[in-house]
Amino acid sequence: MFIVVLSLIELEINMIRDITIGQYYQTESVIHKLDSRVKIIATLVYIISLFCFNNFSGYILAALFFLCIVKLSKVPFKFIVKGLKPIMFMLIFTAALNLLWTPGEHILFEAGVIVITLEGIKKMAFMALRLIFLIIGSSLMTLTTTPNQLTDAIEHLLRLLNYIKVPVHEVAMMMSIALRFIPILIEETDKIMKAQLARGADFESGNIIHRIKSMIPILIPLFVSAARRANDLALAMDSRCYHGGRGRTKMKPLKYKSCDFIAYFILLCYIVLLIIIRKFVPF
Amino acid sequence: MSIIMQLENVSYIYGIGSGHEKQALKNINLKINAGEFIGLVGHTGSGKSTLAQLLNGLEHATTGEIYYDGRNIYDKDYDMKSLRGNVGLVFQYPEHQLFEATVEEDVQFGPRNLGLPLLEVELRSYNALKMVGISDDLIDVSPFVLSGGQKRRVAIAGVLAMQPKLLVLDEPMAGLDPTGREEILNILRNLRDKQKITIILISHSMEDIAEYADRVIVMNKGEVVLEGEPKKIFQFEEELEKIGLGVPQSTKVIHRLRKMGADIPYSCITAEESAGAIYKWLQRV
Repeated sequence: MFIVVLSLIELEINMIRDITIGQYYQTESVIHKLDSRVKIIATLVYIISLFCFNNFSGYILAALFFLCIVKLSKVPFKFIVKGLKPIMFMLIFTAALNLLWTPGEHILFEAGVIVITLEGIKKMAFMALRLIFLIIGSSLMTLTTTPNQLTDAIEHLLRLLNYIKVPVHEVAMMMSIALRFIPILIEETDKIMKAQLARGADFESGNIIHRIKSMIPILIPLFVSAARRANDLALAMDSRCYHGGRGRTKMKPLKYKSCDFIAYFILLCYIVLLIIIRKFVPF
Repeated sequence: MSIIMQLENVSYIYGIGSGHEKQALKNINLKINAGEFIGLVGHTGSGKSTLAQLLNGLEHATTGEIYYDGRNIYDKDYDMKSLRGNVGLVFQYPEHQLFEATVEEDVQFGPRNLGLPLLEVELRSYNALKMVGISDDLIDVSPFVLSGGQKRRVAIAGVLAMQPKLLVLDEPMAGLDPTGREEILNILRNLRDKQKITIILISHSMEDIAEYADRVIVMNKGEVVLEGEPKKIFQFEEELEKIGLGVPQSTKVIHRLRKMGADIPYSCITAEESAGAIYKWLQRV
């Protein structure tokens, strides 16, 4: 079990470096300026809409809508596509499954257990399109919204849960602290790794057991330093009289501006178009 | 005097190909003589730490060559592990790298990585602990229960146990109280005088540099801007202040007095020398 955790951490450290979700792209644009609640709701609606379409014209609408927003956001297209890299394997795998094992009437190709049907191709295309738009849609949100804005918005949108005794503020605070600490811990790992390399440590050669063992001189100092930082932070928060969410005001309160209402209106138009296409366009 | 390490036209650029490239070092040419005590000073971000990491091969220079003991460390068949044994690097806050269950085991980590026989490992680590003044009763305790100064000394012992010929220390006194600082500086002086280890000390304290270093290297924005004996370097008070550094406080006093017409030589740089010179001058006038 311990070994699995260790290798997962190693994998995690490598993955955080090239995953796009959670990476903010700094620039000035209308999309960046939108209220983060609008962006979260719009992203949710967009993702739900992807699963409502049952024909290709729907996906053309989704693609056009998405491209317009990308254009407005001024985020280079290659940054958005980068988000697809980590799920490439999953994408190909689900596409292949759908293609090969969908039963249907119009059989195009048959060899043993493999049956390719017209329905299968259609299902595969839908599945792949849904996954792709889902990932790039949500990475567009995280590229144009800072993690702090996101947690703020989530806290605001979920505030009704307070009535059923869910500590929404505390959870949001924990989330933003965790996000804030990711780059710090990566930097710390890098530092400790170098310090141990300077003492002749070797992380690259040897079999898997040996390599996992060689992680210990990194992990123990890392855990110690994470605990130390957490302690310092708790003390600092305490000494500034942090007492949880009750009665706490915001430095940047979330407030809808006129452009946010326009964005909601555009979103409404999108939903109307979606219903029209679903009801009246046959293919 | 033989040259232990030599840098030729070394440049280092961070983050090549990421879009935010940053030149950390520009055309560094340096010769480090065996047995020298060098003070490396510079403002935050001047490239001191990067330079330190190049010396034991943790970072690879973008361009330029580095020679240790006359051999190019970028040769394909060069043994990096032996380089890391010969060039010890003590990072900032080295106590953050402690991880073993006991002080002794932690100090043994370095020599064990060098593949030495057990007896040699034990001997080296015991000697290293003695060098930094860790008493026998602390050898078998957990490093995490020690005081800040003790942890720091144990961590330094962890590097010393590899018996480096050249020791690079990145602000080893940061965050210690005066007693702790004194202890570390005395250890360094002993290492140089008794063990004949070449030392490169990165520090912000000009007082310490004045007292201990034979030669000062001043860096600014990735370049070596001044280089020479402390008493020569500290004449450039204005230049040093321009790049965010200064001179020892006692040197400042002497410069002030000289401006007023006092006849005191530039050559006194430590507090004691300065006090003596001022006393002599006062007796004369």
